[in-house]
Amino acid sequence: MATPDTLPKCLIAACQKYSGRKIAMRQKDRGLWRAFTWQQSYEQVRRLALGLIHLGLQRGEKACIIGDNDPQYFWAQLAIQAAGSVAVGLFTDSAPPEIQYVVQHSDAALVFAKDQEQCDKLLDIRAHVPAVRRVIYWDDKGLWSYHDPWLISFEEAQALGQTLDAEQPDLFDRSIAEGRGDDVAIFCYTSGTTGEPKGAMISHSNLIAGSDQAARVDPRYDTDEYVSFLPPAWITENALGLATHLRTGMIVNFPEAPETVQANIREIAPHALLFSARLWESLVALVQVRMAESSRLNRWLYRLFMPVGHKVAGLRFEQRRPVGLLWRGLNALGEFAVFRPLRDKLGLTRVRSAYSSGATLNPEVIRFFRAIGVNIKQLYGSTEAQLHTVHVGDDVKFETVGVPPPGMEIKIAEDGEILVCGPTVFQGYNKNPEATARAVFTDEQGRRWFHTGDAGTLDADGHLIYLDRLKELITLAGGEKYSPQYLEGRLKFIPYIRDVMTVGGAVEGQAEARLYVTALINIDFDNVGRWAEKRGIAYTTFVDLSQKPEVYALIQNEVERVNRSLPPPARIRKFVLLHKEFDADEGELTRTRKLRRKQLSERYQDMIAAMYGGGDSVRVRAAVRYRDGREGIVETSVRVAALVEDRL
Amino acid sequence: MASDPIHLSVQNVSLSFGGTQALNDVSFDVRAGEILALIGPNGAGKTSMLNCLNHFYKPDKGRILFESHDLTRLPPHRIARLGLARTFQNLALYTGLSTLDNLLAARHIHMRAGFLQCLLYWGAAHREDIAHRQVVEAIIDFLEIEHIRKAVVGALPHGLRKRVELGRALALEPRLLLLDEPMTGMNQEEKEDMARFILDIHERHAKRMTILLIEHDMGLVMDIANRVVVLDFGVKIAEGAPDAIRHDEAVIKAYLGEAQ
Repeated sequence: MATPDTLPKCLIAACQKYSGRKIAMRQKDRGLWRAFTWQQSYEQVRRLALGLIHLGLQRGEKACIIGDNDPQYFWAQLAIQAAGSVAVGLFTDSAPPEIQYVVQHSDAALVFAKDQEQCDKLLDIRAHVPAVRRVIYWDDKGLWSYHDPWLISFEEAQALGQTLDAEQPDLFDRSIAEGRGDDVAIFCYTSGTTGEPKGAMISHSNLIAGSDQAARVDPRYDTDEYVSFLPPAWITENALGLATHLRTGMIVNFPEAPETVQANIREIAPHALLFSARLWESLVALVQVRMAESSRLNRWLYRLFMPVGHKVAGLRFEQRRPVGLLWRGLNALGEFAVFRPLRDKLGLTRVRSAYSSGATLNPEVIRFFRAIGVNIKQLYGSTEAQLHTVHVGDDVKFETVGVPPPGMEIKIAEDGEILVCGPTVFQGYNKNPEATARAVFTDEQGRRWFHTGDAGTLDADGHLIYLDRLKELITLAGGEKYSPQYLEGRLKFIPYIRDVMTVGGAVEGQAEARLYVTALINIDFDNVGRWAEKRGIAYTTFVDLSQKPEVYALIQNEVERVNRSLPPPARIRKFVLLHKEFDADEGELTRTRKLRRKQLSERYQDMIAAMYGGGDSVRVRAAVRYRDGREGIVETSVRVAALVEDRL
Repeated sequence: MASDPIHLSVQNVSLSFGGTQALNDVSFDVRAGEILALIGPNGAGKTSMLNCLNHFYKPDKGRILFESHDLTRLPPHRIARLGLARTFQNLALYTGLSTLDNLLAARHIHMRAGFLQCLLYWGAAHREDIAHRQVVEAIIDFLEIEHIRKAVVGALPHGLRKRVELGRALALEPRLLLLDEPMTGMNQEEKEDMARFILDIHERHAKRMTILLIEHDMGLVMDIANRVVVLDFGVKIAEGAPDAIRHDEAVIKAYLGEAQ
């Protein structure tokens, strides 16, 4: 048989290879890990696919799935595809109007809804989705007293399939054989930041290529363990989870409940793991909190060996120098006393491939994990073209998102946009040719490129530096562009800086842009305070500390260091150290600590004016709301620091 | 409903502490398969009533019949074995044990293996252990507390402890469940979750679980109860369907009268 070109064909190939001898997946249920062999997994899909055909699902029709990571989710998706239909994933936290939009827009004929919670949402919108013939659930808890024939259970659907199988034993195989690689396998609805969500159409070939590409730079084996916890409606779980499971035989483990993911990861100790940057950061914080509460001996060992880990990791990864025998010996002791136990607590004992996606990961977090023996790599991708770039092997740079895997090509357009080309570029947006035309273009050689909408640059080694969404870039008066988010991210890597907002674009109401970039900086009170104490610099309050000349010199030094690695237009020319911290209670930050730029620009307009007008200090009378609700006035003078151009 | 057999019958129960009359000639029936809510303002005698039911207090007068047994003549541990389980307003869990161990502890009344078998962990003891764990795991799954299976109960937030306590009552496999203010100290979302669990418990039971629910807060109770009995100063002032109770003059006065 030729290389299978659809996911159901991959399932058949894997089942022929492993049959009942090898475990395909596990799920923790009622406290025990229950295993399913490839044969069992195949049987589930077979019965269900025929059940769907029995329920009238036609080739090319669509079926939605909404539910947690469960074997049933994977089986449902494969059964839909085996019937020649398209699986449309929905996020479990979607509200009924969002579900209604996607179900209507995708013309779904069937919907899989895991449990009572999801079934209730569909019952809510039932009048608006007349095309949905049946809703199939796989967790009957709380549904005992529902007697609506619109809802049927997974098992009932499979029983229908079994009847059909007895009548037409070759139907399943025929249905799968009819599938082609360029058939659409899934729709991934992306929650666009503007307008209605768009349904990206991803073919079987796209998914198989995506999985194979990733496996080429980071091989997966059929003995590998994987924990499925990313939303299954997301492209990442489809390519790196389901497709990779079928292509390589990797074992997929499903957590007991969304709340137990962390504990289940520890039990499984997977070989591959993808966390968001935020989650990696919170793990470091978790370790630090737990260590502080730990026994005196543990704390002593931690304080003793963490510097050793940092030293060895620094030599190995950053200075790329051989590690001496002494350090290697100490590190081995550290491994025994601290690093391995820590990795065990976090479920990282076997991890070969630890990835971070989303925002750029703080170097301190990467250094921490390297010190305990885990080399985190960044990856960057999109729903429409899957994996764009990844760090390969030990070639990890903090400020980049890696290089394109073999088969993928990256180009930077004139306006700074990242363009990608490869076998993973999607088929277009469902029922939206205009958006498709904007997103995809074909070059002279007939190759299809995807407009990522992201801005980036390539460094000398061919690594991609991700800046921000293209439309978030700010144009300076000279026509140069810079990315506030990237710049602020880099500045926040400085441990003495807690928060920062850069200024540079056009002022509200004024057409004119500014000539250069400036920054409003919040010092990190704890870190700067500790630094000051070590040097015997006395201070009283945050206001006092922030305005110390020594502190200004410290921050200026650090900002200059960052400036040196930035293209000249994006360099910070002036900054102020704010007399108070940005505060969500005062509407300066969102609850998730994102900057509210408009409010901040208004509130600190005098300082911004001073940074562009040539003033060297600003008297501020800031209204401050105290935590107990009282309002008060802080009056002080805030200095503007200017960085000398020659020193850049 | 009205024709359902009577599961628990409270007949002319009076209870006093010194000069305070906590309960005064209270009578009501709990019918098989219903959720009966016993409500009333603070100090109306709701918890005193419940304490009489499982014989923490002995009524001065009156009888309480559960199936064919007079509960006022039985010690509390015998009452639990009859199939009457309760939760407590102020929680009564083993705070030093895990969720799992708390639930397993409740299974003791169903344990049959002898001392020697348990000592050797052999035969019936081993089989029983597995069976009890299965029952407890089903409850953990049902109440969605998998993530705190191994957590020490004393370290859990209040809302989750309430759920563990409900789980422990279920582990007794009761025929009648007594819930003493299962929603106190909870936020709105936790209250709604708890209400859903109570309804699910009620519905999943083959013949519908009989539940006697005590609540101080009227809102959610009115949505889930089949019938309501209202106490005020130890006296039953009303009994009926939630809608009738909502509009009952005496009840409105009892609740709002406090403020006047």
